[in-house]
Amino acid sequence: MRAELRKLLGLPTAWVGLVLGLIAAPALVLVNAPGMRRAIDSGQTADLGYENLGIGLLGALILGVVTVSSEYTSTGDDAPGAHQMTATLLAMPRRSHLLVAKGAALVLVVAVQGALTASATVWLTRVVLPEHAPPFAPGRMAAAVLYWVLLALLAYAVTLIFRNGVITLTVFIINSSVVSVSYLLTKLTPWAAYLPDIVGAHMFLRSDLIDLRISPVTAGLVMTMWVVALLAVAAYLFHRRPA
Amino acid sequence: MISIDRVSRPGILHEVSFDARPGRVTGFLGRNGAGKTSTVRILLGLDRAAGGTALINHQPYASWPRPLTVVGALLDGSGAHRARPARAHLRWLAASNGLSRARVDEVLEVVGLAGAGGKRAGRFSLGMSRRLGLAAALLGDPAVLVLDEPFNGLDPAGVRWMREFLRRCADEGRTVLLSSHLLDFPVDDVVVIDGGRVVARGTLGEVTGEHDSLEQAFLSLTGASSW
Repeated sequence: MRAELRKLLGLPTAWVGLVLGLIAAPALVLVNAPGMRRAIDSGQTADLGYENLGIGLLGALILGVVTVSSEYTSTGDDAPGAHQMTATLLAMPRRSHLLVAKGAALVLVVAVQGALTASATVWLTRVVLPEHAPPFAPGRMAAAVLYWVLLALLAYAVTLIFRNGVITLTVFIINSSVVSVSYLLTKLTPWAAYLPDIVGAHMFLRSDLIDLRISPVTAGLVMTMWVVALLAVAAYLFHRRPA
Repeated sequence: MISIDRVSRPGILHEVSFDARPGRVTGFLGRNGAGKTSTVRILLGLDRAAGGTALINHQPYASWPRPLTVVGALLDGSGAHRARPARAHLRWLAASNGLSRARVDEVLEVVGLAGAGGKRAGRFSLGMSRRLGLAAALLGDPAVLVLDEPFNGLDPAGVRWMREFLRRCADEGRTVLLSSHLLDFPVDDVVVIDGGRVVARGTLGEVTGEHDSLEQAFLSLTGASSW
């Protein structure tokens, strides 16, 4: 696992994810101050600060994708079929051990990043809007961090299935920032609220994102089940496929 | 010691069997597509065989807890992510197998990359990539070396250096198995594969037999002389 941490943190793209994840949410507090004042005027203060945490998940997604996609990037024009995964499997031929070590390194990095970002964002909200910010709630923050960790693992599993970071990253980023396909689906069927990216947000947001209300614990469990299921598929394929 | 026993893969390998012994350079020869790389990848646990066993020191590759200390492998490319400097690549490999960091600079020195440790792998020339791959193979000071087409991409000086280096490794008592479609290197034992089947194996003298040279023997064994 030490090797996997070193490997992940040695990648420039991983640092893009780290920095983006760290600064995006706190920065949004400052940029979005007018929006938050409008929310205050309309009396919706329950999620003040916390809703900005959503943007920081981009960092977690990038980290989850990069930890796998970097393994499958071609190492050079002279050997287009060659990639780092060969070296990785030669060093750690037990595939299940490798997947656990990679996942653990990812969880550690995202959890530390999430804890720092969540604290900074909530603290900044209190500085910018002292009289309206919701009280400091460690439980909600922990839930937000857990949401990030689960999303990172989700990206990790999906990238492992497709063995290509571009597909995963495109789908996740478009879905989380431009047009939320999952959100649109909730308009068609309430069951779409249980899609992993939507249900997870219920873990730390209190206002109703959509008409359906899901308790934080249920949300956490449902999202965990998604992650476990996708990880199981990814691990199965990883064992079966030639490197 | 490498023992390959009746390794099969539908359509690719048919009951491939041979040994590579310590202190000898074993040349695994065949035309492109003959099944050399498939055999090597199965030996290293990267691909699965449908049948048969491929063992290194009596155990499958994947059962070694710190495989880099047992087997050094050189495959296509350097194995390093393009954005990663050579030294950083070797350091995570060392960390994964509990090897000391000091070993990283030692192997960079051995393969002649001492001055290029800080350079990103993506900026390496083909020859430098091969050297970086070899440095990774040597990291754990393994007694067994498995090299797939090690001469590819090397300039004449590089080819000569690699030949002498592999000879030295065998003289130190290591097992050296190298696959190649070239015949221009000194070997002790020869295994010839064609169409996924071993068509000849033995010492250099045995396989050359009545032919004038190994090349002649190879061409007649693989039917490539009709070219």
